[in-house]
Amino acid sequence: MRPAPGRQQLSREFIARHQRARIINALAAETAEKGYRAVTVADIVRRAGIARNTFYDNFSSKQDCFLAALDYALEEALRRIVDAATEVDSWQNRVRAGLAAFLGYVASDPPLARTCIVESLSAGPESLARYEESLQAFLPLFRIGRKVSPHGDELPATLEEAIAGGIFWIIYQRIIQNETEQIEELLPELVEFALTPYIGAEAAKRFSTAD
Amino acid sequence: MAADPTDTSVESAQEYPPELSRLPPGRHGLPREFVVHNQRERLIAGLAEAVAENGYAGTTIGHITRHAAVSRRTFYEHFASKDECFVVAYDTVMEQLSERVSEAFDEVDDWPHAVRAGIAAMLAFLSSEPNLARLCMVEALVAGPVVVDRYDAAIRSLVPYFEAGREGKPAKVLERLSPTTEEALVGGMVSLISRRIIAGRTTELEELLPDLVEFSLTPYIGSTEAAKVAREG
Repeated sequence: MRPAPGRQQLSREFIARHQRARIINALAAETAEKGYRAVTVADIVRRAGIARNTFYDNFSSKQDCFLAALDYALEEALRRIVDAATEVDSWQNRVRAGLAAFLGYVASDPPLARTCIVESLSAGPESLARYEESLQAFLPLFRIGRKVSPHGDELPATLEEAIAGGIFWIIYQRIIQNETEQIEELLPELVEFALTPYIGAEAAKRFSTAD
Repeated sequence: MAADPTDTSVESAQEYPPELSRLPPGRHGLPREFVVHNQRERLIAGLAEAVAENGYAGTTIGHITRHAAVSRRTFYEHFASKDECFVVAYDTVMEQLSERVSEAFDEVDDWPHAVRAGIAAMLAFLSSEPNLARLCMVEALVAGPVVVDRYDAAIRSLVPYFEAGREGKPAKVLERLSPTTEEALVGGMVSLISRRIIAGRTTELEELLPDLVEFSLTPYIGSTEAAKVAREG
């Protein structure tokens, strides 16, 4: 191992990050099990196997931790979407790759998915506002389609919001029906749904199944 | 029978549909059954006002009875808890909303225009009743699992209006409509509506009509036709 300068600090940062992630995962596990309202800081602390003080070193309250979980998941989801989308060429394939990465992330962590996509709606006004803001982050990926569409200039201003809202609603439904792990099967349908307004249903269908 | 001494408030009665409005002040000499029924509706209206002011979690029985101008005892004669009152309020509002939508939809023969009429009716109801809109589209989600289940069911109940668009379509069109089309359309529409209510822009909801019509008709009749229906009127 290289005793590089600043190593001490890096590892402290690493530990801090790791600790936060661990607390967030514990919150997600508890929230998915009993619902946000019933979860206590004591539950989270027990699940994470940390001291109560450690929780409060990282978060000021259960709500603070919950909002951090939403931010954490959004950041991770966007990172995966961007990584996947930059690997392919056309916009249509980017939407497909991005959605595939997103569904993959949702399926890989059902408790976190439930926390962010279901529980965030009922965890109070701040959480709901954060959820709504998060949705905005997905819009640019779709909006590029206006340049690809033959009638891009005439598309309704709210189109991307409606597409993202529709996709999240479908995912929400699957999560509450405990079908989170099969969510990737929805990929072709969701790609079609997202592309149809821009390029028409027929062309959208081609991209939804292309590889 | 003696009138409830707190039974005097009439403010904002006209903000609610007739079913939810209040009795005029003073001694009315109305049959007891009518008064009881009316008290219940006043409590529902009171809850909607209290929730709009304080949010669901911040609303107390005291807020509700103050807005409804009835006694606490009267509240408990009708409802066991705030939750129960909310559920009844939610059902009452949703029943009205779905009645308006189905009436508007049924009045028009041609499916794309019927969808347009249904969406217009929904937006008109919600934008004219900001408190009720907030109650059923935003606060419902924080009011516990019983209401959340009802909320989900209410949204799913919109699916058949869109499924009707599949009728009589050529096999080629049907083939490319995936099974989740209607679910996604309804979810997208509700998301647009809720977001505006959360942002306190409920009165602007009717401006969404052309966008929602175009969005929801496109998978069935193509974007050119959908845009045409959306821009009419």
